[in-house]
Amino acid sequence: MTGVGILLVAAAIAFGLAKLLRLPPIPLLIFVGAGLHELADFWQIAVPEDLLSNMMELGLAVLVFTAGVDLSPRRMLGRTRAIITVATVQFLILGLAGVLTAFALGYDLTTALYLGCGLSASSTLVVVSHLQRRRQMFEPYGRLVIGVLLVQDLFIILIMVALLKAPDGLLESFFGLTRAIGLGCVAVGIHRWFVPWITRRLKLDDEELMLGALGILFIFCGLAYLLKLPFLVGAFFAGFSISAFPMNGLVRGMLGSLSSFFLALFFISVGAALTLPQGDMLWHSLIFIIVLIVVTVGLVSIIGEYVGYSTRASIEAGILLSQTSEFSLVLALTGMASGQISGELFSMITLITVSTMTLTPLISREKIAWSLMKLHPRYRRGELDCATLQNHAVLLGYGRAGHQTLQAFKEHGIPVIVIDDDAAVIRKLIADDVHCIQGDGSNQRILKQANCAGAKVVICSMRRTRDSKIALDYLKEYPTKVFIRTFEPEETEFVKNSGGIPIETARASAHSMLEWVAVNLRK
Amino acid sequence: MPANDLQLLLNLGFIVITAATFAFVGKLIRMPTIVGYILAGIVLGPVLHLVELDHSLELISELGIALLLFLVGLELSFKKVKDLGRVALVLGGIQVLLTATGGMLVAHFMGFGPMEAVFLGGTVTFSSTVVAIKLLDQKGETNRLYARISIALFLAQDIVVIAALTVLTGFGGSEPLAPIELLINLGKAFGGMAVLLILTLIAARYLLPKPFAWAARSPDTVFIWALCWCFLVVILAHQFHLSVEIGAFLAGIAIAQLPINEDLHRRLHPLMTFFIAIFLVTLGIKMELSSFAAIWPTALGLSAFVLLIKPIIVFNILARMRFSEYTAFQTAIASGQVSEFAFILLALGATTGLIGPDIVALGGLVGMTTIALSSYLIIHSEALYAAIARTGILKLMRAKQEADSEILRHRKDHIIVVGMNALGREIVQQLTLRNERVLAIDTDPKKLEGLGGADTLIGNVEYQSVVEEVGLREARLVVSALQIEDTNHLLAYRCRSASVPCAIHAFDLSVVNDLLDLDTTYLMMPAADGILQQRQLMQQEGIFKS
Repeated sequence: MTGVGILLVAAAIAFGLAKLLRLPPIPLLIFVGAGLHELADFWQIAVPEDLLSNMMELGLAVLVFTAGVDLSPRRMLGRTRAIITVATVQFLILGLAGVLTAFALGYDLTTALYLGCGLSASSTLVVVSHLQRRRQMFEPYGRLVIGVLLVQDLFIILIMVALLKAPDGLLESFFGLTRAIGLGCVAVGIHRWFVPWITRRLKLDDEELMLGALGILFIFCGLAYLLKLPFLVGAFFAGFSISAFPMNGLVRGMLGSLSSFFLALFFISVGAALTLPQGDMLWHSLIFIIVLIVVTVGLVSIIGEYVGYSTRASIEAGILLSQTSEFSLVLALTGMASGQISGELFSMITLITVSTMTLTPLISREKIAWSLMKLHPRYRRGELDCATLQNHAVLLGYGRAGHQTLQAFKEHGIPVIVIDDDAAVIRKLIADDVHCIQGDGSNQRILKQANCAGAKVVICSMRRTRDSKIALDYLKEYPTKVFIRTFEPEETEFVKNSGGIPIETARASAHSMLEWVAVNLRK
Repeated sequence: MPANDLQLLLNLGFIVITAATFAFVGKLIRMPTIVGYILAGIVLGPVLHLVELDHSLELISELGIALLLFLVGLELSFKKVKDLGRVALVLGGIQVLLTATGGMLVAHFMGFGPMEAVFLGGTVTFSSTVVAIKLLDQKGETNRLYARISIALFLAQDIVVIAALTVLTGFGGSEPLAPIELLINLGKAFGGMAVLLILTLIAARYLLPKPFAWAARSPDTVFIWALCWCFLVVILAHQFHLSVEIGAFLAGIAIAQLPINEDLHRRLHPLMTFFIAIFLVTLGIKMELSSFAAIWPTALGLSAFVLLIKPIIVFNILARMRFSEYTAFQTAIASGQVSEFAFILLALGATTGLIGPDIVALGGLVGMTTIALSSYLIIHSEALYAAIARTGILKLMRAKQEADSEILRHRKDHIIVVGMNALGREIVQQLTLRNERVLAIDTDPKKLEGLGGADTLIGNVEYQSVVEEVGLREARLVVSALQIEDTNHLLAYRCRSASVPCAIHAFDLSVVNDLLDLDTTYLMMPAADGILQQRQLMQQEGIFKS
């Protein structure tokens, strides 16, 4: 009990630090775990190996299982091609870059393969919490990123099988993969037929749901054991088998607290099991981190745009994916346990994971995405005649409502100029023969170029209120009316005080709903 | 990872799969899950010998007990604790005295020697905190008056058990303790209790509120901090030779005074459910079946005492304390089983040579029998009360007929609004102005501030327990302003299952089809509504001709 208590104190410190420093908790948990180990060494206290190993065992099973539960094919509906393309290309090319870098640094083939594979997957836990914090989980790029992460988790699981069986020959790797795919097929069957049937037939309470879900986890782990596969393969497919809606939603609440508890202790235990990498390995880690970030951001930005996402979305997706995954740790742990890689290499992969996860919130700031967007080639064809337009409308930011707004002005015979910084959006507008300027709507030079001073109306849908303020200040002296979309009451107040006219979307929606209530839901 | 390193996973696998099987079969034949778990343990242990208890499983069981009591503490405000103090003292004191004497006499008349009679008397005296609370929790009644009285009684019993265990440990070590050392240990236990109580008071008032308020917007941080606090107090309690139960319970009380207590309770509940299931299965694994054939008649007699006489004693004491017939009856039923502490007590007795292994086996069988039967009685206690009350027997014990005053919150015909962003808050404010009964829900306590006449609840609607607590089935309408697709889907699904109309925030065109598939009654689309408003504003400002 004391051991668990100490691990929990360490986890509590890590979570507190994560909140204070606004960093993801995983690297801090590992870091505090490593600190715990150092303290134990310093005071010459024996580390309870059994407890750490038990926590790692349970944590791994829960981590992989919950990742599988999130792997609902429904999440990818309508964007499967884009997700598979981005995930596969990123995984392969980044993996290749990792393997080549490892070769260049003098590592052998097995180690290079582990490093390459470890590098090629991104962290679902870090990215999801980041997207949730920024409320971008369900924006198009958020959906792309989540889909990519889930597909990569599947890749890693299959690669783990191939790598672990590799010492027994290529044929054994192939058979191992076949058995894993066979187990996956069983999971698909359960996912498609058994789980929906049981959800319809039985009204299960929370306890039964949790026991049932965990029962499936252990049954699959057992099957994996019988098929001579790592138990994690079973855990992953077990998660997938219950990922069909509504079962995934029903068990999420129950599994949420289990995974919060076990994952916290798992990452602390991983930290406590580390031996700190020294000398060359530190340099090598730095090189891998640079390769990872440069290749991921560049690659995903290009493929994202290629499969139809906006420039900004593609760049943001690239930045968000540029860290290694908790699955990289899983892979490294499995490799270390099977004796294929050394404890030092495991520590190096962990160091890369900790560093890139810590870097994620720092490099995924809007500022960085903006500055990278400037590197994109600029399209100028839509700018022709913009300066000569009078009594026109200017849309600052195309956004979700851009198309309908454009149509409305067209109906009333008012010419429109769209200002947007996204190259992909501008390219599409040019194809539709719309006046447009690629640039920042909060830049006075661009506002001048669109002749905002001579415009009848300016409609602002930019994300940040301070950008709208620049446009408002610029147009203060002119008769142009400025409409600004707002959601929060504070934004509305700000727009009113700055002389703009707010379009209160939340209030408008609330009123529509209340009208519906008044008609359809009488007391 | 090599297979021998995966022993814990293997054991857990057997336990969870067997427990799940028994729970599902039990559901079909209306068997309480506790009975299913114990049977699963008997199958895994004494019957098939598939699982052997080791340190890891014992640890998980202990974690379960700690979490269970922590959750019980989480529901108790200081006012409730104050009310229960006197009850615990009077009821606990008299019940322990009378039941122990009765048990010893029964054992004596059954032909047991004086020392054996003392141990058997002790065995039948104490009730299982874990089993009773687990069942009350399953019934969703831990907040009822009778449940609180039961908890007070069990905790009072725990203190007596701890004293007994301290004395026995003194006798039972390799070098028996001198009387003075025994007294020191007892003093430590009672002094420790006082220290923990003071710590609880200080923590609840000064130590915990600020940090938890700071972390309130990060549910994972609050979750881990609360667990950390619980185990720190448990470890401290252990230093004073106090039980895990008492430490966890007091830790829970300290957190219960914070505004996030209810949400924490819901988040910790699944974790406790998992650990406690393991604990109950291990109870079955520990059973020794070989001598059962010889001892079952005696076990039956003692079980009858636990299931009948002990509840009658509890009922009478409560009736004299002017509690209603209903409260006294329900508390009495909750007390009708043997505690897991009794097993420890008997094991210690055997170690010290005071009793033989046959008494340990007898205590085990009585424990299993009473736990299994009392599970049925507690689950069906309402029907049982109605049936027995109809016969008029209860009136003979002259308990108060009027119901005890307790506030039971029941929501009906209300409108539930989930997610207090700008949209959610606007809807709540407008509905409140229209005199609707509104319940606003969010995971962030700060967002629930300043909502005027609306009722509020901190929580996550993904939990079934939250859905039940907010009375979704009785609601007139459920509104979700959340921008979380998964939660919205689940809410729409639950509303459809309960035939309650729902209005869901369709924050993006891509979510519309799924919500329509789930028969969402009304879709709130701020982007589209914004365009309509934009058009109206353009007309007002003369940009568009009407």
